[in-house]
Amino acid sequence: MPRIGAFVCWCGTNIAGTVDIEQVVQAVSEMSGIVYVKDYQYMCSEVGQNLVKTAIKEWQLERVIIASCSPRMHENTFRKAAKAAGLNPYLVEVANIREHCSWVHKNKEEATKKAIALIRAAVAKASLNTELIAKEIDVENRALVIGGGIAGIQTALDIAEAGYQVDVIEKSPSIGGKMAQIDKTFPTLDCSACILTPKMVDVASHPNINLYTYSEIESVNGFVGNFEVTIKQKARSVNLEKCTGCGICTEKCPSRKSKSEFDEGLRTRGAIYTPFPQAVPNVPVIDREHCLKFNTGKCGICEKLCPAGAIEFGQEDVLVTKKYGAVVVATGFDIIDLDKFGEYQYQNHPDVLTSLEFERLTNAAGPTAGKFIRPSNNKRPEKVVFIQCVGSRDVSSRGKSYCSKICCMYTAKQAMLIKDKYPDIEVYVFYIDVRTPGKNFDEFQRRAVEEYGVNYIKGMVGKIFPAGDKLIVHGVDSFTGDTLKIEADMVVLAAAAQAKPDAEVLGRKLAISTDTNNFFTEAHPKLRPVETHSAGIYLAGACQGPKDIPETVAQAGAAAAKVIGLLSKRKLVSNPCVSVVNEDLCNGCLSCLKICPYDAIAAKELATNNHGITSKRIVAKVNEALCQGCGGCTVACRPGAIDLKGFTNKQITAEVDALCH
Amino acid sequence: MDKTTVRMQQIALQTLANGEVDVILGWKKGDEWYDSYPVVINDINETAELIWDAFCVNNLSKYLITELKKNLRIGVFLKGCDSLAFNQLVIDNRIDSERVVIFGLPCPGMIDPQKVKHAGLNKGLLKVERTGDKIVFITKEGVKEYIGRSFDYDKCLNCRCPNPVVSKYMLSDAVTRTDEEQYFPDVTEIEKMPLEARYDYWTKQFSKCIKCYACRNICPLCSCETCVFDNIAAGVSSKADADCEQQFFHIIRAYHVAGRCVDCGECSRVCPVGIPLEKLNRKIIKDINQLYGDYTADTDIAKSPPLGTYKVDDFDPFDGSKQGGKK
Ligand SMILES: Cc1cc2nc3c(=O)[nH]c(=O)nc-3n(C[C@H](O)[C@H](O)[C@H](O)COP(=O)(O)OP(=O)(O)OC[C@H]3O[C@@H](n4cnc5c(N)ncnc54)[C@H](O)[C@@H]3O)c2cc1C
Ligand code: SF4
Ligand code: SF4
Repeated sequence: MPRIGAFVCWCGTNIAGTVDIEQVVQAVSEMSGIVYVKDYQYMCSEVGQNLVKTAIKEWQLERVIIASCSPRMHENTFRKAAKAAGLNPYLVEVANIREHCSWVHKNKEEATKKAIALIRAAVAKASLNTELIAKEIDVENRALVIGGGIAGIQTALDIAEAGYQVDVIEKSPSIGGKMAQIDKTFPTLDCSACILTPKMVDVASHPNINLYTYSEIESVNGFVGNFEVTIKQKARSVNLEKCTGCGICTEKCPSRKSKSEFDEGLRTRGAIYTPFPQAVPNVPVIDREHCLKFNTGKCGICEKLCPAGAIEFGQEDVLVTKKYGAVVVATGFDIIDLDKFGEYQYQNHPDVLTSLEFERLTNAAGPTAGKFIRPSNNKRPEKVVFIQCVGSRDVSSRGKSYCSKICCMYTAKQAMLIKDKYPDIEVYVFYIDVRTPGKNFDEFQRRAVEEYGVNYIKGMVGKIFPAGDKLIVHGVDSFTGDTLKIEADMVVLAAAAQAKPDAEVLGRKLAISTDTNNFFTEAHPKLRPVETHSAGIYLAGACQGPKDIPETVAQAGAAAAKVIGLLSKRKLVSNPCVSVVNEDLCNGCLSCLKICPYDAIAAKELATNNHGITSKRIVAKVNEALCQGCGGCTVACRPGAIDLKGFTNKQITAEVDALCH
Repeated sequence: MDKTTVRMQQIALQTLANGEVDVILGWKKGDEWYDSYPVVINDINETAELIWDAFCVNNLSKYLITELKKNLRIGVFLKGCDSLAFNQLVIDNRIDSERVVIFGLPCPGMIDPQKVKHAGLNKGLLKVERTGDKIVFITKEGVKEYIGRSFDYDKCLNCRCPNPVVSKYMLSDAVTRTDEEQYFPDVTEIEKMPLEARYDYWTKQFSKCIKCYACRNICPLCSCETCVFDNIAAGVSSKADADCEQQFFHIIRAYHVAGRCVDCGECSRVCPVGIPLEKLNRKIIKDINQLYGDYTADTDIAKSPPLGTYKVDDFDPFDGSKQGGKK
C-alpha cells in the first residue's frame, strides 16, 4: 500500500457549510494507506498549496488525495503543486466533494457521509495510480473561423493582425451576417453598413485571411493544435477569380421569381445574384433551383453576356481538407418563424412585419430605397405598433423561455428612427418589461419616450384584426387595466432570437455541446465564457446566446486572444492518460478503431507462433499523439485488451467497489 | 442416401483431391439417431463418412478460428445461421475468409431430440430422415411419417435465414418459408411484464446458472483469444456462487454479443438448466432495429454495425432537449 496523504478543503463555507469537515478528517484518517490528513479553508490558495507541498516532503507521500471542488477547476493546480514537491503529478487524485456533494445536498449528515464515500473511492483509485509522463505535440499555427458575421469578421481580423493565418468559412454567398441587413445601430444610431463594410473589405484584403464563402463544414477530425477539417465549397457556378463584379448577369437574368434572402423576401432577385451590392466577395452565385439553364437546359444568358467569361455551369462542389490549430465557432442566430403566432396575422397581412423585415424596409439600400411605406399599398403609414417579446419569455411550446435580450433596444431604435424622420407618425410599443442594462442603453430608450414621444404601453396584444386597409390591434394596458384598440397601418413584431437550426449538427461534428435552446455551451459561464469543453474550440457572438453588436465584438476579441495564446505556443503538452493495447489479449476485432473519435487507433499485423506454426494476426495499436484519452475504446473492447492509463478498468472498478462499500 | 449427403461427399472428395482445400469441416454420424457430430478430416477416404441430416445443428464456423491458425485452406459446410456467424467472424477479423471455401446448405430446420422423446417416438428409433417438412421415423417395427414442423427446435421455428448468405458451392435448392414471420413475440411478452415481475423473472432464470459457460463456448461470436471471464487479472469474474455473479456474467455476455448476435439460438439450446438466453439477445436486436433502423447482424458484411459506428444523426436518448425532464 502506498503512503497516501489526504487534503480536505472547506472552500470557505461552500463545502464546510454542508459537510462536517471534522468528521470527514476523522473517517479519512482511518482509511487504509492514509498516513496524513489535513484540512484547510482554501486549499487552492498559496498557503493551502504549500501545506500540500510540505506534507509530500515531510511525510514522504506517494499519493495525494485532494478533497475539494471539481477536478475541472483545480486538478491542474494541485498537479503542479505535487510536481513542485517532486511527486509525479498523476499520482494526485481529486475527490469532488463540492459540485458532486456539498452543492447538491442540503442535509449535512448525508452530505458528510457522501463526502467520506467519495474520498474512499479516490483513495481506492489512487492506490492503483502509476507515474505517467506527458509528451509534447506540435501546434498547427493556423486558425479556422466558422461564420462570417460580425463575430467571425472581428475574430478573424484580430487573429490575422497578430500574424497568424486564418480561414473563414461562410455558409452564404457573402460575409456580413445579420449586421449587414440592419439599418442603423443602437445605441449610437450610426449606420450599420458604414461601420461594417470597411471591416468586410479588410477581411477580404488581409494577406493572412483566406475566405471560403458559400461553404460549409463537412467533417472535423483531430484535436487541439491539430484539427483536420474538411470544407465543402458549394458550386458557385461563377469563377471567383475571373468575375469582375460588373453585375450585368444579375441584371439580365430572366428568372426573377426567387425571394431575396438578404431583403427578407421583400424583394425578388434573379437566379444569378449577389446578395447585396457591398457583398464580399462581390461575385454572384447561381441558385440552381431557380436557374432556367439548370432546369430546362435553355437560357444561358448570363454566360453569353459575361464579359469576363466567368460563368461555369459545370462547376461541382469541392472538398478541401486543411489543418488548423484552433477553431472559433461564430455561426450567429436567427429569428423564429412566426407561423405559430396566428393572432398577429403575420402570415396573412403584408403590413405585419418582423423586426428584421422592418430593418430592410427602412434601409436606404433596401427594397424601397429607404422610403418608409406600407408594403400593401405603398403609402406612408400613419400609425405604427411595435409588439415586443413575440415568442420571447414565452414558456409555451411555440415560444422560447428566455429573453432575447436585443429586442427592447432595437425596438426603441426602430421607433425612434420613424419619429425622427416622420414626427407626425404615431408610434406605439407594447412591452412586458423594458430591459436596457448596458452602457447608455437606458438613456437611449428614455429618449424614445421623452424626446420622441413614442407611446410605450405595458401590456400584451391579444389579437390583430384586419379591417379594410387598417389593422385593428386589440391590447390591454396592464397599468390601467383598460382594453385598447389601435387602428394601425403597420405592425412590427420583435420575433425572438433563436439558435441556428443546424447548430446541433455542427456541434456534433465539432464535439461541442449545445444547451437546451441549442445555443452552444461555454465551458464556464463566468470564468471561461468563450471556451468550449473541447480544448482549442472557442465561441464568439450570438451562436452562444442572443447578443448585441458591442457584446459580440467584445467576445470576438476575447476568442481571438485565446486563439492567439494557443497558436503562439510552439508545442503543447500532451495528455499522458492515453490508451494502451495488451497485444496478448487483443482479438484484432478493431471495434476500438471504429469507435475512436480521434482516429487514434490503427491495425497492426503480428506474427504469432502456435505450436511451431507461425501465423499472422491483427492487433490494435494506439497512436499516443492522437489519443485524447476519452476512453471510448476501453468500453468497446470485449476482452478488456485496451485500457486507459490513469483511468484503467481496475481503477474504475476499485472506485465503484469503494463507493459500494 | 440423402441427395444432399451424396453431393456433400462428392464436393468434399473433389476439393480435397484437387487441392482446393487442405481439410474439410463437416459432420459424421455417431451411434445414436440424434448424434451428428463435428469433424475435421483431411483424408479423402473419410469423405464417405460425412453426413447431412436433421441433427447437424452444430455451427462449424467457430472451428475455423483454431483450424485456420494452422495455415490451412479449409472447406466448411454452413447452414443459413452458420453463414451469418461466419460473416460476423470475418467482420471481427477472427478468420481469413480468403482461405475458406464455403459449401452452403439450405436448411429446412433441425430436429429437437427432446421433442421426439416427448412424443414417445424415440423407442426403438434407428434413424430420422427429413426432406423439406416431411419427416420419416424409421424404427425396428417400421416407418412413421409426419408432415410439419412440430419436431423443429423452437429456434428453428423462428428462423429468419434458412439459406446461407455466403457460399462458393450451394449444395441444394433454396428453402422457401412462407409462414408469417413472428420474430419477437417472446420479447414482446416480457416487455409487457411490469418492471418488478420482469426483474423477478430474470433473477429466477439467472439464479439457475451453474456457470458451466456452455453458452459462451458454443456461441460462434464468443471468440476472444482470452475471454474476460477466464482472465483472472481482469477482475470481472469470480467463482462465488452468488446471484449477482451470475447476473453479471449473463449481462456482460449479452452486451459483448450486442449488435453482433446472429440469433442462432445455440446458447439456449445448450444451456443445461434451460435459461432462455435468446430472449435477452433478441431484446437487444429488437431495440437496435428500433433505434437505428433495420439491421440484421451480418447478412451483409459491408454494412457497418450500428453499435460500433457513430453517425451525426444517430438517435440520442440522452439529449435533454428531446425527451425527459418536466414538460
Ligand atoms: C432586427 C434586429 C435588429 C438589430 N439591431 C441591432 C442594433 O441596432 N445594434 C446592435 O448592437 N445589435 C443589433 N442586432 C443584433 C445583431 O444582429 C447581432 O448582435 C449580430 O448580428 C451578431 O453577430 P454574429 O456574427 O454573432 O451573428 P450573425 O450576424 O448571425 O452572423 C453569423 C454568420 O455565420 C454564418 N453561418 C451560420 N451558420 C453557419 C455554418 N454552419 N457554417 C458557416 N457559416 C455559417 C451566417 O450565414 C452569418 O453570416 C439586431 C438584431 C436584429 C434581429
Ligand atoms: S476492441 Fe479490443 S480486441 Fe478489438 S481490436 Fe481493439 S483492443 Fe483489440
Ligand atoms: S481513449 Fe481510445 S477511443 Fe479515446 S481517443 Fe484514445 S484510443 Fe481513441
